Amino acid sequence: MTTGPATSDWQERIDRDTAPAIRGEHELRYRLIAPLVASSAVWADLGCGTGFAAAAALEGQRPPCAVLADLEPTATATAAGELGIADTTQIAGDLSEPATLARVGEALLARAGERVVSCFEVVEHLSSFVALLEWATGLARAGEATFAISVPNDAFWSIENPYHQSTWSEGAFAELRCLLPSEHTLMRQVALSGSALCGWEGESEQHRLVVRVGGEEAVATHFLAAFGPRHRQLRTGALAAQTDMLAQRRWERQRESNIALSEHRVHEVREELQAVVIEQREQLRANTAQFDEWRAYIHELERALGRPLAGSPEAMRAERRDDARP
Amino acid sequence: MRVAFLLNDIQLSGGVGVVLEHARQLSALEGWEVTLVLVREDEGPSWHGYEQLPHLHVRSRERALQERYDVAVATWWETAFTLFELNAERYAYFVQSLEDRFYRHDEAERLGAGLTLDLPVAFLTEAGWIAETLRSLRPDAPCYLVRNGVDKEVFAPAEQVQPATGGPLRILIEGSPSSWFKHVHDAIDAAAAMSEPRHVTVVCGDRQALGDVAADEIVGPLSHREMAELYGRTHVVLKLSSVEGMFGPPLEGFHAGATCVVTPVTGHEEYVEHGFNGLLCDWDDLRGTARQLDLLARDRDLLHYLRCNALETARAWPDWRQSGQFMAAALRAIRLEPQPIAAAASARMLADLRGGVEIYHEHLRERLAYAHKADRFDRLVARARGNPLIRAFLRLRRYRAARVAARPFRPLTRRLRGLAP
Repeated sequence: MTTGPATSDWQERIDRDTAPAIRGEHELRYRLIAPLVASSAVWADLGCGTGFAAAAALEGQRPPCAVLADLEPTATATAAGELGIADTTQIAGDLSEPATLARVGEALLARAGERVVSCFEVVEHLSSFVALLEWATGLARAGEATFAISVPNDAFWSIENPYHQSTWSEGAFAELRCLLPSEHTLMRQVALSGSALCGWEGESEQHRLVVRVGGEEAVATHFLAAFGPRHRQLRTGALAAQTDMLAQRRWERQRESNIALSEHRVHEVREELQAVVIEQREQLRANTAQFDEWRAYIHELERALGRPLAGSPEAMRAERRDDARP
Repeated sequence: MRVAFLLNDIQLSGGVGVVLEHARQLSALEGWEVTLVLVREDEGPSWHGYEQLPHLHVRSRERALQERYDVAVATWWETAFTLFELNAERYAYFVQSLEDRFYRHDEAERLGAGLTLDLPVAFLTEAGWIAETLRSLRPDAPCYLVRNGVDKEVFAPAEQVQPATGGPLRILIEGSPSSWFKHVHDAIDAAAAMSEPRHVTVVCGDRQALGDVAADEIVGPLSHREMAELYGRTHVVLKLSSVEGMFGPPLEGFHAGATCVVTPVTGHEEYVEHGFNGLLCDWDDLRGTARQLDLLARDRDLLHYLRCNALETARAWPDWRQSGQFMAAALRAIRLEPQPIAAAASARMLADLRGGVEIYHEHLRERLAYAHKADRFDRLVARARGNPLIRAFLRLRRYRAARVAARPFRPLTRRLRGLAP
């Protein structure tokens, strides 16, 4: 969800140009719930964005109905097109608001059967997550839907993301955990690095990887929680994909280019400001000189009239006395 | 949602400040009405230090008894005495520390404070370690973790840490010297035992309890803004407490780019990482603590590294707005859940009471035995003093020659004096 002006520095909307690592992270979260989504009667995606990662993760499997919610109507429309689920309800609104959540709930509960709700990388964007948490835990406790939510571990890198309205960390997630139904599944998402060797001609190959994850040194990039009747069905997993170096280079160069442009603009504005400051300083100096001349003239007149000099303590006292008179 | 927070008073203090900040955040939410109930008789509202909060409802206990609340929240063990007198749908207890630890082992308040944790209430707490303890003590009661936020307007994170390449190491020691568990005097002694140049500032509201100490500057009591400004001139916050709840002061110092040297006291684990953003010293090791401070005074690279990481840690700490959201969500959850079953809580309380009575009985027995021994000794001394021969012998002490002659017997007389109660 985007809640501020577009910049090149923070990629909050996942699309084809998103950095591969971030795209992979996002896709993995959708892969986590893909089996549940495929076997559910209705799937709601809160903060659906472009739907790009979800479409990649779900592959050919789609539920019969979907509810796509996002702050921006254009996002839900793009996601609906990307996912191609015929029976799709699009809801544009702020998920901090109980009214938006009520609309999502209504659309969700209108369909009988298993219900799954994904809410990835949304909570940190909300001005208040109180309503969302109460609504989600209420539905989960009633056995109406299974929820999967994620938040980033901002605190590890002390990331001050301009789009994030709350800061998430191990500690903040512990606070969140207290509010979940007692039956829930928690996961940590960790970053992977890797490389592969392939044939000289570059023909397509597939490799099965064995990768050791977790342990004491594992630092989470994201924290995930699932709750509701099917939370136990979620399985841990990993995703490795060949890095699209061309796309990555394009993304990074674009980013660098945008930053350079922004810096140039900032430089220009700063120079303009400096010019204004110099001009105003000159003006101030000229005004001060003029006022000094006036003051000297007024003092000359006051001396001639035998009155206390304006601004002197005697003059102030006299002024107060005059004010006090009825 | 009508919420009542029970307080003894609204005098400026850490614990009260946390409750007031939550009250302020909640009262800003639509549909929330927050009342501060002052449970001490004749306790009028005193807004000194909290001038930004006058819009909150404040009620005396008597007036609050006539009102109805959705959730009533005790915030200190003594306020729990009034909790169930209030008419509320749910009862909760905001635990900021295990308050029995504020009292020494033979103080009656220790048992009283401990027993309040057995009440049939939902718990709210500000530190992970308290939440874990409460969950193991009271698995029957819900427990919500709501970490304290930091006022990012007052303790605004510094833009960057200015390297301190020269000059003395600027050390800040704060805390109440009359609270035994704050070990303020130990911290001052540790700083005094340094061999490198230092500048020690002690922040203290009670100069009398502080006494005459080796510090370059003694200030206080200070408002939050003044504290923030002081942290900005500090390199290291030194705290050797043995009891803490959330352990806020070093974190506030982090916001201004001050690192810390602290004991591994409860609460430190929330944000202090040894060798990354601060240093952990051993318990009761003033010499070792002084050496750590010397290290920071000498190794300015290490000092800067720790200060930079302290500032980064502070940046990621939530503000009161976020903390208020968790408090709101927790109170809503408490309101929606059933009240914990009183039978389980009562069983727990009675077991603790029995344990307390046994400890009290043991203390009493020890004291009686000691009093009996002292009484026997007193009678012996009185009888000896009545003896004319001994009286005459004691009178000899007036003469210098007699005192010189008695010198070889000093070890014996010293021992006898040591036996006296």
